[in-house]
Amino acid sequence: MKKALFLLLGMLLIAGPACALELEYFKVYKPADGMSADEIMQIENFVKYTKCTRDAQFEGKAYFIDKSGAVRERETTRVRITLGRKSDDIAYKDLVMFTAPTQVKGLATLTWTYMDPKRQQDSWLWVPSLRKIRKISAANGDDSFMGSDFTVEDILTRRYEDETYTLLGSENFKGYACEFDKKTYFQGAPCFVIEAKPKRSPWYYSKRVLWVEKNTGGGIYEEMYDPTGRMFKTIFKDYQIYKVDGKDYAAQVLLEGKDLRTGHRTVIINTKITFDKGLSEAAFTERALSESRW
Amino acid sequence: MRRCLVILLLLLCAGGAYANDQFSYSGYLQSEVSLRINHANGDLTKFKNIFQIAGQYKIIGDELVFFSKARYWYDAAYDLRDKMDIAQHYQGHVQRTDWLRDCYLDYTNNPWFLRLGKQQVVWGQSDGIAVLDRVNPVDLSEYWLPDMEYIRIPLWMANINYSPKLDSNLQILIIPDFEQSTSAAIGAPFTTYSYIRYDNWKKTVGGVDENLYFPGKNFENSTFGVQWSDRFADMNYTFNYLNGFYYSARNATIHLSGPYFGPFSYWKVNRSFKRYSLYGASFNKSVTNPGPLQGFTFRGDFAYYNDEPMYYGNPVTASSAGIKRWNNIMWVLGADRYVFTKWLISGQYGQYILQHSKPNDPRPQYNYILNPYTYGAMDPVENIFSLKISTYFLNDRLRPEVLWSFTDDNQGRISPKATYEIKDNIWLTVGVHYFYGHLLDSNGQYRDQDQAYMNLKFTF
Repeated sequence: MKKALFLLLGMLLIAGPACALELEYFKVYKPADGMSADEIMQIENFVKYTKCTRDAQFEGKAYFIDKSGAVRERETTRVRITLGRKSDDIAYKDLVMFTAPTQVKGLATLTWTYMDPKRQQDSWLWVPSLRKIRKISAANGDDSFMGSDFTVEDILTRRYEDETYTLLGSENFKGYACEFDKKTYFQGAPCFVIEAKPKRSPWYYSKRVLWVEKNTGGGIYEEMYDPTGRMFKTIFKDYQIYKVDGKDYAAQVLLEGKDLRTGHRTVIINTKITFDKGLSEAAFTERALSESRW
Repeated sequence: MRRCLVILLLLLCAGGAYANDQFSYSGYLQSEVSLRINHANGDLTKFKNIFQIAGQYKIIGDELVFFSKARYWYDAAYDLRDKMDIAQHYQGHVQRTDWLRDCYLDYTNNPWFLRLGKQQVVWGQSDGIAVLDRVNPVDLSEYWLPDMEYIRIPLWMANINYSPKLDSNLQILIIPDFEQSTSAAIGAPFTTYSYIRYDNWKKTVGGVDENLYFPGKNFENSTFGVQWSDRFADMNYTFNYLNGFYYSARNATIHLSGPYFGPFSYWKVNRSFKRYSLYGASFNKSVTNPGPLQGFTFRGDFAYYNDEPMYYGNPVTASSAGIKRWNNIMWVLGADRYVFTKWLISGQYGQYILQHSKPNDPRPQYNYILNPYTYGAMDPVENIFSLKISTYFLNDRLRPEVLWSFTDDNQGRISPKATYEIKDNIWLTVGVHYFYGHLLDSNGQYRDQDQAYMNLKFTF
């Protein structure tokens, strides 16, 4: 009897990951009816990190808005090269450069993300006040991303493997009224609703409820709940389709994160987005970082 | 006049090129005020106003770019404080060519990268301890307190880089320019104790004939540097070699007396620069794989200084007897980790190991290698520590940090500070520098110079 139970358990363990898709880099995937929550979230993760593209460049602005309405701004250029290379385990490399205001102009971070979900990222920082590169420790997942209302995990490090998923249903999205530009987004857009719970416990959130848009595969809206079960943050992402060489790439054009505890908001607007420009990997090295002039 | 021309050139370039992103610029105005807090009523030691403008002109896209940065400052504290009058001429405003901080042409055509012109080159991984960071001379008029970008004195040089494969780089430096490292003038808050002693001695003996001999301006007197960088087993490393003149002049004192000089004796001090070599290596590695060390970043520098010119003499009377060319070793290991959410702890430990021998002066009391800052005795092995804790609040608007650097001689410095972003273009920094230790130790010499400071920066 015991043997049979172990055999069954073993089969279930093998069958679990088998539910997941084998997604190939540089291919475009969209979620479809009939997919499991795991499959949908694999695609959501793939879309979020632009793994379907060879390279991507985002020029944009971030607005930090406090409860009183006071606004601080940052301008950044973010460049990514997707590698999906098994030989050295590198999934993709990111370079984020601050271009304004002057106080932070020149500050740049080079980050390598590995394919192994258990590995942390490698990061280097160009510090203008020292005129040197500083290897930096990976920030904790619950640290703020560049002082925003997004955590490092929200933007950079959360992997598909970090959570367990339950499909709550399929519905037309009620629409998101963006406080920044006063527009309503995705009203009536068909979405999957998924509950994601972190495997890590205790953690700064107990669950997320996500609306994954069927057309783009992007997680357009999410509500985050603290360990007491109270909603403490909402994140909205406006995904748009960019046609590049016959492929439909979904890209984040606008992000709005709201901390419901402090009333602070962060808005990121990507004003210029380009894909597959043939960037060289040499632009994602320590030497390239040291060529900074500011 | 040259200053005005460069700024005018930057502005003229801006007119035509700004519209199509060929030209970009930025700058700031900063006011720095420091008070000596050991003094009962406070004592103004700095009222420095700094203006900086930097401009970049893309001549051919990102392939050929001209960059220049000019900085001018004036410290009014030297006008306001009578006792600092003596330092006014040397410290009150920018000297010589120091106003031009960067002026170079970048040529990028992978695998080549050339930077030709006036610039800073930084080697090494350690923070605030110049193990390998010796390509440029340093301005220690405010000791090691400002950011290193302010402390390094830029030099005209050719910085040639070739990358034979991904993540590797061969850097060759040819530096025909020479500037000496500078320290605070007599009367300034951070004048070194050795300089005060030397100045007092000059007053005691009367006339001293001082001569400063710079290296001759020819190619053979250039400084040459080579750095090889690569990555092995997820670790970045470098090998470094530098050969050039030591940027701090060393004094050789000659006492002339005898029948020829009649009843008088005569002192001559020849200050000259000695050539030395640096052989070094550095590494950095983050532990990214799961395990007890995951999240740690380790970094380190190692240097062997061949023929490093050192003073020797009597530390009791704090007097130098001469110069020895010593072979010394310096290394630093550092580790960083975020311990809690948003709290970064960074620690460093290093040693400065002097050559294991005596200066062989016939007078036993003069057989000590001296600390060039104070003329106190240097330990055969100096143990150096630093600890930095930093965090942020209010969505990164408020950034407090504290740095504690110290040695095993019970001397050091504690520097807490906080930076607050008032607006995008207005930043306020307040902080304290607290020094402790013996008068003949590097930090202890400033034990009566504890400072409270405030910097207000307006950027554009």
